[in-house]
Amino acid sequence: MLRSEALRILVAFLLLSGGAAVASDSGHAEHDLSAKALEVFSVGPLKVTNSMLVTWVVAAAVIAFARHATKQIREVPEGAQNLWEWLVEGLYGFLEGVVGHDLVKKTFWFFSTIFLFILATNWFGLIPGVGTIGWSHVPIGTTSFSHIETPLLRGVNADLNMTLAMSMIFFVCWTVWALQANGPGGFLLHIFGPKGQTTGALKVLMIAVFLCVGVLEVVSILFRPVSLSFRLYGNVFAGENMLESMSAIVPSLAWLIPIPFYFMELLVGLVQALVFMLLTAVFTLLICTHEEGAHH
Amino acid sequence: MNIIPMVAEAAGITGNLHIGLAALGAALGVGIIGMKASEAVGRNPGAATQILVQAILSTAFAEGIVFFAIFLTK
Repeated sequence: MLRSEALRILVAFLLLSGGAAVASDSGHAEHDLSAKALEVFSVGPLKVTNSMLVTWVVAAAVIAFARHATKQIREVPEGAQNLWEWLVEGLYGFLEGVVGHDLVKKTFWFFSTIFLFILATNWFGLIPGVGTIGWSHVPIGTTSFSHIETPLLRGVNADLNMTLAMSMIFFVCWTVWALQANGPGGFLLHIFGPKGQTTGALKVLMIAVFLCVGVLEVVSILFRPVSLSFRLYGNVFAGENMLESMSAIVPSLAWLIPIPFYFMELLVGLVQALVFMLLTAVFTLLICTHEEGAHH
Repeated sequence: MNIIPMVAEAAGITGNLHIGLAALGAALGVGIIGMKASEAVGRNPGAATQILVQAILSTAFAEGIVFFAIFLTK
């Protein structure tokens, strides 16, 4: 029964990818992938864009799968539960190695969610049909189907709003964790305070120097959400652009040329999820480690 | 007077030079990081996970420059 289901999904995939190949087959050399997500429909004042739609679909799918996998917990896991346990335990062990035993207990929920969500959305965006099914303002019959102005679905992280939202949530969490770990005074001391052992006149000089270093530190901290969101958006959007260009480069081979790049995008999707998680984890580690910890 | 824009126009090249330079620098940086990370894993295979973390972090910082160059241009 499971096998027939898998087969049906495979057939659906093949049909979709066939459709995508046909759609981009007679593609123009010019490609105009919109840099921002486009509105699909609106509920009152709320505009629903194509990337929001995919966000909800992926989030619902991940939640449904997690609920399904953990509905009946077995002593000896198998199937979906096994996969889910392997994912969570692997991530936990990995993060424990990065941020340490105590911090991972407190922050694991955030980093694992970020990683799994970004991975799921990045890979969902590679399914043929995302970005190739949609509306065209050109009447059917007069020209090819290749010109889709408003795709129904769009890669989630190809929308700067989404990546910026995730970075800002991290920024808030980071501030909360930093204040919890250091206290308000310790937090300021951590940023502006002098590091290392010095005495006498040198100490006074060091305090002045580290005050200036603290100002630089504040600027770099404030720039983190920007660089985090730009990095993820830039990678995913560039990937979508590249796939589109590759399928338009030789119209008769539009089904063949993008295939290697699909594998590269699979890798990029994984690496970018890893990068986002690792960077946020390391930023958290940097602010939450006490200098006393280095002595023992 | 400006010879480079003239040559570029004659050759049909358009775009921003500084994005190209940022991409060049980032590519070199990522390549050096990959080379050194492989060397480090070769010397000390036991530390592969820690080296991977360091390498991915450095790679992310190196390639971040290109995105600044792309988005902050006009």
